[in-house]
Amino acid sequence: MIGLSRRRFLQGLAGVGAGVLSGCGGLPFFSGAKAHVVVVGGGFGGATAAKYLHLLDANIQVTLIEPKAKYITCPGSNWLFAGLTGLDQLTVDYQALQDKYGIKLLVDRVSSLDAGQRRLRLAGGQSVSYDRLIMSPGIDFRWDAMAGYDQAAAEQFPHAWQAGPQTLMLARQLQAMPDGGVVLIVVPADPYRCPPGPYERVSMMAYWLKQYKPRSKILILDAKRSFSKQALFEAGWKKHYGYGTANSMIEWHSLADNPLLELDKQNRVLTSEFGDRFRGDVLNIIPPQSAAHIALQQGLADSTGWCPVRPLTGQSLFNEFIHVIGDAAHYAPIPKSAFAANSEAKACALAVTSLLNQTPVPEAHWLNTCYSLIAPDHGISVAGVYKLDAANVIAPVKGAGGVSPRIDAQVAAAEADYTRAVYRNLIADTFG
Amino acid sequence: MKRIGYVSAALLASALSSMAYAEIDARAIAFNCWNCHTESSLDAKSSIPSLKSLSAQQLRQALLDFKYDKKPATLMPRLAKGYSDAELAAVAEYLSRY
Repeated sequence: MIGLSRRRFLQGLAGVGAGVLSGCGGLPFFSGAKAHVVVVGGGFGGATAAKYLHLLDANIQVTLIEPKAKYITCPGSNWLFAGLTGLDQLTVDYQALQDKYGIKLLVDRVSSLDAGQRRLRLAGGQSVSYDRLIMSPGIDFRWDAMAGYDQAAAEQFPHAWQAGPQTLMLARQLQAMPDGGVVLIVVPADPYRCPPGPYERVSMMAYWLKQYKPRSKILILDAKRSFSKQALFEAGWKKHYGYGTANSMIEWHSLADNPLLELDKQNRVLTSEFGDRFRGDVLNIIPPQSAAHIALQQGLADSTGWCPVRPLTGQSLFNEFIHVIGDAAHYAPIPKSAFAANSEAKACALAVTSLLNQTPVPEAHWLNTCYSLIAPDHGISVAGVYKLDAANVIAPVKGAGGVSPRIDAQVAAAEADYTRAVYRNLIADTFG
Repeated sequence: MKRIGYVSAALLASALSSMAYAEIDARAIAFNCWNCHTESSLDAKSSIPSLKSLSAQQLRQALLDFKYDKKPATLMPRLAKGYSDAELAAVAEYLSRY
């Protein structure tokens, strides 16, 4: 999507040739390169980082390592429950990154990392050396939070929190549910991937149920006391789904002081600490999360399960040649979203090219915008502008950001349109 | 790899803190415009305008109008308030050149 003119321009600003590094020992592909940057993980963070590294400095050889040849986006995947999209429409590949930006793609999995030698070994047996490594591996699930809910149980009660077969399974369970059935959606405490995601999912399920199984109910069992865009979601649910009335299709229960402890698979019952029992026909249990296993395995996470970084550069606190971005990294208060991962990747790419060229690292600016659909013609948004404060800590810029300005049909319709347009354009900016 | 990076990270931190930031690096802000305003915005169906073909003056005026609530929009006023006038001018200048 970026034409030659932009590419040339970007390169023109990048200080090409400012410094030739020593220590580029393992350049396996491209002997003319001044450095080799390896990106692990081809989601929104990793794909954006790979692309912008090339745009900033085409003399850096970029390799992207990702286990899947095609990627199904989590953004947009809730729309599938309303029948508004399908997995095919949510699938992207890495062809443009290879063809337009010269990125070397390795469809493989990292099996081990030798940080001292700056070398990765892949499951396929190949060894890859790097000058700098950008890790954007995403999330994994913590299976120790609820007795009875483990990886095997998730095949019966899908989390659908990584888009793909789990998403389809959950949609099919919804379609097979009798009219008058109950859907339980279990939402973890912060932080987790996509804070407003569970509530958009509830909205999209409600939209579908209202048409096809209108006597059904959705119960949100939430580990939090409040949630992202709560006032906007609740106003939308009131408008579309009878929220707050005796006939509401949606009920939200905060279980912050009364956590769910156990799943009885046989009877599809969840039991809380105080002994409350919730029975559902469809159970969508979204477990608590951590940085992806590979990040934990390599000692890049701290006791929180997420990877602490120096925010200016994204460098791991545990290794200066490894940068971590996206959901796996701790960039709070920036939420874990695809949009934010794209923004973190750009700041990181600027920092990495600056470090490799021995030029000053520019001030970092991060942006997040999260749109959600409440109905096909009703969108809402939250935005944040972030930079480092005087103490070098990421902080939202005061007076900026916030939620949709007002709630009326015209704004709601415009934001529904923007929700879809921003999705398409974010894909184009990341993978195109 | 364990925690061998602790010492070097600390050294790096002190080295970087004494390193001057570039005054305003418009790229750091402008790259974030392309999250939404990509060239796929040229698609006639898209409700998000492309920034191509706009002059620096047009872009700067639009950004300042968003920031000071002279131009209504659902999202841009919330974002433009996050930047100084000088930063918005630098972004406008940068975006007009590609």
